Amino acid sequence: MMTTKTMTATPISVAAVQAISDRYNEPAWLRQARLAAWEVFAATPWPTYKEETWRRTRLTGFKLENYGLPQAPERVYDSREALPADLREELAKIDSAGALILQNGRVVYHELDAHLMEKGVVFTDLRTALEQHQELVKVHLGAQVPATENKFAALHNALWHNGTFLYLPPHVVVEKPLQVLVQQDAGAAHFHHTLLIGEEDSEAVIVEDFRGAREGMSDSVAEVFTRAAARLHYLRLQNLDETAWNFGTQRISTGRDALYRHLQASWGSKLSKVWIDLELEEPGGHGELLGLYFPQDHQHIDHHTNQNHRVPHCTSDLLFKGALDDHARSVYQGLIRVWPGAQKTDAYQKNDNLILSDHARADSIPGLEIEADDVRCTHGATSAKVPEEYIFYLMARGIDRRTAMRMIVQGFFEEVLNRVPVPGVRNKLEAEIAHRVGIE
Amino acid sequence: MTAVLEIKDLHASVEGKEILKGVNLTIRQGEVHALMGPNGSGKSTLGYVIAGHPHYEVTQGDILFNGESILDLAPDERAKLGIFLAFQYPVAIPGVSFANFLRAAVSSVRGYRDRVREEMERTGQWKEVGSELIPMREFRRELLETMDRFNVDRSFARRYLNDGFSGGEKKRGEVLQMAMLKPKIAILDESDSGLDIDALRVVADGINKLVADGMGALLITHYQRILNYVKPDKVSVFYDGRVVLTGGPEVAHMLEEKGYGWVEEHLEELSR
Repeated sequence: MMTTKTMTATPISVAAVQAISDRYNEPAWLRQARLAAWEVFAATPWPTYKEETWRRTRLTGFKLENYGLPQAPERVYDSREALPADLREELAKIDSAGALILQNGRVVYHELDAHLMEKGVVFTDLRTALEQHQELVKVHLGAQVPATENKFAALHNALWHNGTFLYLPPHVVVEKPLQVLVQQDAGAAHFHHTLLIGEEDSEAVIVEDFRGAREGMSDSVAEVFTRAAARLHYLRLQNLDETAWNFGTQRISTGRDALYRHLQASWGSKLSKVWIDLELEEPGGHGELLGLYFPQDHQHIDHHTNQNHRVPHCTSDLLFKGALDDHARSVYQGLIRVWPGAQKTDAYQKNDNLILSDHARADSIPGLEIEADDVRCTHGATSAKVPEEYIFYLMARGIDRRTAMRMIVQGFFEEVLNRVPVPGVRNKLEAEIAHRVGIE
Repeated sequence: MTAVLEIKDLHASVEGKEILKGVNLTIRQGEVHALMGPNGSGKSTLGYVIAGHPHYEVTQGDILFNGESILDLAPDERAKLGIFLAFQYPVAIPGVSFANFLRAAVSSVRGYRDRVREEMERTGQWKEVGSELIPMREFRRELLETMDRFNVDRSFARRYLNDGFSGGEKKRGEVLQMAMLKPKIAILDESDSGLDIDALRVVADGINKLVADGMGALLITHYQRILNYVKPDKVSVFYDGRVVLTGGPEVAHMLEEKGYGWVEEHLEELSR
């Protein structure tokens, strides 16, 4: 189904890549990077099931030519009061130190506490960052996720339009979370780029909430740099429309003694293929990857994670939990890789699936590749229906079957939810789960 | 009115294998009725069948609560009538806090949930989420009072239901649930098993208080030990899927003296 908006949208082509660079009068290095990425994209065949990462996720029905680049919205807002009620209410759910709303890549609203600006915190959209801090952007952009990463990363690097930019100067602590709403119009192709840089001993929590893209596609990239002793918590809420195609590549590097925490909540989309790579590059780094998903109807959610221990004395902890209903499918594929010499690695990886329907299916492929001899690595996967004994126990206390099921499913997610430090985000996640178990 | 649970010629099987072979038993509110029998005789099955476990099939006979058959009722409907099963092995449910679980159970058993549902049907208006629950403040006060009265640590409220509980904590948890739900008839399945003497005293004390408040109890046990703390009005001996002997407290003493071997030897005589 096409909408009127799509009719006026720019088709995806090398001309569109040029047009973006022209329109924003981009520096030569960026134009070249885009064109090089387009060449990689054009030269890379579409994935087939013969590639391990695509064995269980098919792109049947996906046609890039169905989507064009979206139109920028006309309206922007200069205060919270001026925002439409739905956006205002959405922002109010999180008590934040800064907020950014992007619609189709255009900033429609931006705020940041003045004292953070004074301390040198840069929290803005990527395009503004490119104008005001070109060197910072140039050094980091594409450094984690190059065009050669995969076909969707290549397409993204050619066509990204805007995104989230966060720079934390050394020793700066941002006490309240920062939040970003990424609004994506129907029928179009969206390429949101997230670039987060936490310098030495800095600290922040950032929340990105992706919405919309009905009958459209979202192809995002996130590149995260946590330098020595930085403490960064990145929460990604994927609330796209359930007709959207969603592709994402995320890579995080940690410096010495850095503490990095990540949450990927995959609620929306018709199909999601998301890669999350944690690169522990300096000793003493600690990374946590949390995941939540609850596909229904015919949704297909695929997460592919890497915990890459390149050096000694790092720890990583992964927990992905999903419930599946109706004809939904999920794929979890994860690898803990311990490089030669990465002694005293302590890595944990767990994927639990709760199957709520006879037609739902969860595939879980955890993996270990260990080339050091003094390490502790644990991994596991479970996939089970709600035990009848749980239901009977609750029913024997007077609770009806439907309510019993809801309580058990909500309880299943609790292990992840109680590790989410932002009350507003936790409420959003709980509301999404409640909605999916039938509580409006 | 004193509630009565009557079990009449009850036969039940699991996967085609008959476990209950004609049970006759009556439990009245305010009475303690001990059901003693060797392991594997089907005592726990009787508890499950009374509570309505879907795994068991009733093939003959009936279970009456105040004269009405409950065989067609789902487990939650039986609980709402005032029937409670204290599990021998309570199930651990991760992520569900004891307090939230108990609030849902209390709300359901005391009719909050049904009243809201009826009102929504009558008026055609949705009520907000949470309106089907007993008010938080009222519930909290009652829970804290009950925990104190029954010697249950207040930290139970925040912990996940039976998750990581010791054997003794699980049994105390069952007593706490029973105290909050105030059943008319409770079936206590081996509530004494695996308890040290302190935990046993707490559990027995809880049962005694609830019986004094008017609850009827069917105390299923293998050993005589708990009967030193909870005095039964009646004692029935269960053997091979049936009650073979019913009498007063003296039956328990006789069993302790003679053992279940005596029952087996005198089975024919007892069955007459």
